[in-house]
Amino acid sequence: MTALWPIALITFKEGIRNRAIYGITLFALLLFGATALVATMIPQEVGKVSVDMALSTISFTGLLLVLFVGINLMAKDLDKRTIYTVLARPLSRSQYIFGKFLGMILLILVTMCVLSLLAMAAIFLLKMSISGYFTRFSWPLIGLSIFLTILMLVLLSAISFLFASFTSSSFITLVLTIITYIIGHSISGVKALVETPSEVLGFGVSPVTVTLVRVAYYLFPNLSLFNIKLQAAHDLPVSTSYVAWTVLYGVVYICLSITLAAIIFRKKEFP
Amino acid sequence: MITIHGISKEFKEGITGRRVKALDSLVLEIKQGEVFGFLGPNGAGKSTTIKILMNLIYSDTGKAEIGGKDVRNPEARRLVGYLPENPYFYDYLTADELLWFGGRTSGMDSRSIRERSDVLVKQVDLLNARKRPLRTYSKGMLQRAGLALALIHDPDVVILDEPMSGLDPIGRKMVGDLLVDLKGQGKTVFFSSHILNDIERFSDRAGIIIKGKLRMVDTLSNLLSTGKSLEDVFMRQVAIAEGGTAE
Repeated sequence: MTALWPIALITFKEGIRNRAIYGITLFALLLFGATALVATMIPQEVGKVSVDMALSTISFTGLLLVLFVGINLMAKDLDKRTIYTVLARPLSRSQYIFGKFLGMILLILVTMCVLSLLAMAAIFLLKMSISGYFTRFSWPLIGLSIFLTILMLVLLSAISFLFASFTSSSFITLVLTIITYIIGHSISGVKALVETPSEVLGFGVSPVTVTLVRVAYYLFPNLSLFNIKLQAAHDLPVSTSYVAWTVLYGVVYICLSITLAAIIFRKKEFP
Repeated sequence: MITIHGISKEFKEGITGRRVKALDSLVLEIKQGEVFGFLGPNGAGKSTTIKILMNLIYSDTGKAEIGGKDVRNPEARRLVGYLPENPYFYDYLTADELLWFGGRTSGMDSRSIRERSDVLVKQVDLLNARKRPLRTYSKGMLQRAGLALALIHDPDVVILDEPMSGLDPIGRKMVGDLLVDLKGQGKTVFFSSHILNDIERFSDRAGIIIKGKLRMVDTLSNLLSTGKSLEDVFMRQVAIAEGGTAE
């Protein structure tokens, strides 16, 4: 832990001072402003729309953070060879990966907490001004949705670390992470579709496609599990077992990804 | 203090994966308190040797030790301060934060780091720039920040890869003074260079490496006794390595 903390702290400082963070926060502020504007155009649905838009803003800006700040924190060490001076310290390759990841988790937590407070303030102000339309509304569900979004972002970041451990450039890591995000959000829907009987679908899906989709389903993380924005916006029940299994799934996936990244990184050479 | 037991290293080159020998059975021993200059043309294997010592790349055969510890053991690096060629650091950190990081990872407490940082930033002439982000530093300033980082934990062994590279005359003098100072403190210094004058000025002993093979290694006076000048000795070795004759 003594070796992890200095790496985590400089990773966090390097990330939080990155100018891209200010851009992302400004973007989020504009979207929160837009939430208030759009939501008031449809008064009957203002509660649902404002919650949905605020949560989507948090999720989207978090994604920008992981893709454009997080990936750079790890991959630029390799691109610009900052890693020479870091690995010259008396620490192991695994400590480097775990320390970097700890710093990234800190960065996601702090940034998401700030954005969540802003989002909640926007929702709260709307609720105060037109409370009559916030009939089906639940703060705990909004909090739970934000928590699962943060967990999804940490998972995505762990996967980006895994990609960075074996690719040679930050651009490839970025592309692979974006592909994982897109597949991760759509794969369960695609799997359900290709497994639907052809009589119901009205057309047949080849067994090869079904096998490929099933392989992708088990290989890529199912990120749609972490999306309960709809339930939060409509105050629909989310079972405790669903949340517990999703959290367990996320934590196991994160641990596996980051451990695998550390194992690959141990073998990596920096010529 | 530094022992290299017959290390060899090959790299794959291009899309064909043709194997190129970067180091060929290198054997070398550097004693405690010695300033050793590692001389060779570009691509001779100097940086490869240093990267193996720093565990950034792994040798195919043989092994290397620092202070009796295998270089693959992170503890070996507790004894070492390292400056890579053209160092690059975190853009948004300051020199003070960089030194804090170096000190903490070497197990120093905050007070010792502060005291040592104060001495080092003065020594490398970064006193007025220590609170500035490193992205605002010039190349020479980065090199000096790198030197301070390498020395923060007062290591017994200092490994410098082309420490004068890209420095202006003032920067070169500062690095030269630092090398003399380290020698005075009894530190073991291993530095690579392709600049003959630097090797001649600062080394007790020097090795000439060409095409991955150590061609000569001796005290500077013995090396100089084999030719008119170090340049003459070096050029003869290059000619031999190219398949020509010494004359």
